[in-house]
Amino acid sequence: MPSGALDRLMKLRDDPYAMARSWKERTGSKVLGFFCCYAPEEMMHAAGALPVRITGENRDISKSAAHLQSYCCSLARTGLDMALDGTLSFLDGTVFVHTCDTMQRLSDIWRLNAGFAVHADIIIPVRFETDSAWAYMIAELSSFKEKLSEFLGPIDDAAIIESIRLYNKNRALLSEVYDLRRANPEVLPYDQALWIVASSALMEKSEHNALVEEILSDLKEAPSPATDDRVPLFGIGSVMDQWEFLKMVEESGATFIDDDFCDGRRYFDTLAREDLPPVEAIAHRLWDRKTCPCKHAPSKERAKCIVEEAKASGAKGAIFFQFKFCEPHAFDYPHVKKALDAAQIPSLNLEIEQGSVSIEQMRTRVSALVETIKS
Amino acid sequence: MSADEIVKPPKIAATEQMKQLITNYYIEAKTTKEKPICWITSGGPVEFLIAMGVIPVYPENHGAMCGAAKIAPGLAEVAEGMGFSPDLCSYARLDIGGAVTQGGAIPGGLPKPDFLLCCNNICGTVMKWYEELSRIFDVPMFLMDTPFIHGSKPEHATEYVRQQCVELIAFLEEQTGKKWSDDRFTEVALLSVQGVDLWKEVLKTAESRPSPFTCFDAFIHMAPIVTLRGTQEVVDYYTLLRDEMRERVANGIGAVANEKYRLIWDNIPIWYEMRNLSNLFASNNACLVADTYTTAWAVDIRIEDPLTSMADAYTKVYLNISIDIMLEQLIGLIERYSADGLVMHSNRSCKPYSLGQYDLARAVTERTGKPALIIEADMTDSRVYSEAQARERVEAFIESL
Repeated sequence: MPSGALDRLMKLRDDPYAMARSWKERTGSKVLGFFCCYAPEEMMHAAGALPVRITGENRDISKSAAHLQSYCCSLARTGLDMALDGTLSFLDGTVFVHTCDTMQRLSDIWRLNAGFAVHADIIIPVRFETDSAWAYMIAELSSFKEKLSEFLGPIDDAAIIESIRLYNKNRALLSEVYDLRRANPEVLPYDQALWIVASSALMEKSEHNALVEEILSDLKEAPSPATDDRVPLFGIGSVMDQWEFLKMVEESGATFIDDDFCDGRRYFDTLAREDLPPVEAIAHRLWDRKTCPCKHAPSKERAKCIVEEAKASGAKGAIFFQFKFCEPHAFDYPHVKKALDAAQIPSLNLEIEQGSVSIEQMRTRVSALVETIKS
Repeated sequence: MSADEIVKPPKIAATEQMKQLITNYYIEAKTTKEKPICWITSGGPVEFLIAMGVIPVYPENHGAMCGAAKIAPGLAEVAEGMGFSPDLCSYARLDIGGAVTQGGAIPGGLPKPDFLLCCNNICGTVMKWYEELSRIFDVPMFLMDTPFIHGSKPEHATEYVRQQCVELIAFLEEQTGKKWSDDRFTEVALLSVQGVDLWKEVLKTAESRPSPFTCFDAFIHMAPIVTLRGTQEVVDYYTLLRDEMRERVANGIGAVANEKYRLIWDNIPIWYEMRNLSNLFASNNACLVADTYTTAWAVDIRIEDPLTSMADAYTKVYLNISIDIMLEQLIGLIERYSADGLVMHSNRSCKPYSLGQYDLARAVTERTGKPALIIEADMTDSRVYSEAQARERVEAFIESL
């Protein structure tokens, strides 16, 4: 008998912060928001706080228009709007990690206007390769640990190692979900698989682990569905939260088989080493992960990595799904596209703003891509 | 009074020398056989290049020239045709367009780079832009990563940047095959400090009423301090300019004939609109006496410990600090220059400069009582700018003063 865990998790999509709010009510502990998935969640967790990811949402802008120009990405604009209109009032503080120019300024504006008790910036290096950058990374993460303990009390190294283990378990489970889908995407619609990953950053990890374990056991017990004949696609971008879009892709005879989204595979990719002192363990994982276009790491050249990943996944095509005004991703697009072309992986570039997504316009373009691949 | 009736002040005589200086510089860069060429970002530590006999070339300076010459949109379209979004920084777009077509404001385009030096103290955009240049020209790129300062700068940030200065030296030795000389570097750093000090003295003359020049003049005369600081020519040039400005002050010559209002400019100039805006403000008796842009090159270097002080100075530049620190500097400018208001260019191309302006504008008014005007535009892409709208807003703003 299926456990119903997936249904329970899917319900959260209608009210993404429901579990964080009830956790706070239950425990009386602090909730810290963060945007970027380079945030050292394990440290916050070990300090007894619940780290919760903010990724904006589909909404019309009201209050943030007085702070951010219209040529700023919707992730920042809708995120700030949520902070200013009380949607995020369950947060006790926010942690900003150095990402792009927009997030950097959003942090300032947020600190001066959102009114949360705690605000921290972690300026991790942009260079991800040299010894000096590594030394700086360790120093900066250590200094964040100090700042955090000023607010939440001393943070025990043993507790961080515990949290790292818990987070690693989560990463392994999420990886298993993606592996199952790679073998046969028919086991689970992609929007649900992606939500299983994205929701991980919205609740206490042990709760999420329990849910994913149940989901995995349900999936394994279910009669194996017929092999899929839909066109397998690879998704490229930062945050993907357009569920209706993903459903439309599946209606169009295709499905995402894997991705490079930072609330998808990039969220759980690479385990932290459990044999290192905790700050180094966390730093190592951030360093070794698949890179974000905001980082400079020529030896892990993004286009090459994406083509390899896309090929390994068996994808026959790719969709770039970008936020309008997102510079790091837009700069990488022509080059990554060229590399995909060379590998004979046709692709499509879609640009959206949360709150004004036109599924029908995109449907035509997705269908055209699917037809190209099929023919 | 209409724009045609403006009483024009005498031209700045030093302009001819500056033109000559910049022309000679570009001629050398275009024709050199032995000196390596390095493309560098406007906030980059050029002293290292000068000390190694490398010719620095500034795509941003060229971007400004293309903007002023009104050829930016055409070049940007080339990059857009390559798949670069029209929402990306217009300097980057026009530069990429220029790089692949050998086009631009200089015949045959900018001289090709042998290597690249990118410093992210002005934005993260330059890193993505230079990564693309590195692919286009197939040349190595050195990224100097200057951690952003939200509050106070931690010691480990300075140490990280200082360490990168050491790495940069090794990179330059490898690229040029030349040995690094501490003595030569000290010499260059001294000249750089001298040049920067002179530039500060030039800017300081605008504290006088009437101001001997406007920020539109400063935007033009900043070219040598950006591109060639660390050389004797720059020291000579700014000595000349400073003396001329001091003489104007002594004789009570103002850049705006009937200077009545004194304003501060924020952000990169709207290059294609310089003349119109300059006339517009002048015809309304308003003088833009200072700006946050040209002061960005007024860095301090201590000769006792050049690497640490450079690391410190290059990390603390205006675009690498949080908006509350920017606010203090803005208020400082308003006070020092006895300004009556603030004009902010909300520049679609530049997020580190523009995001936060809405908050800054309100905070400036709250703290100083001086009003602020925000003009929406782009530094070189005239396709997103409405002249009529800007004119209307500027006139209404000055009327309200």
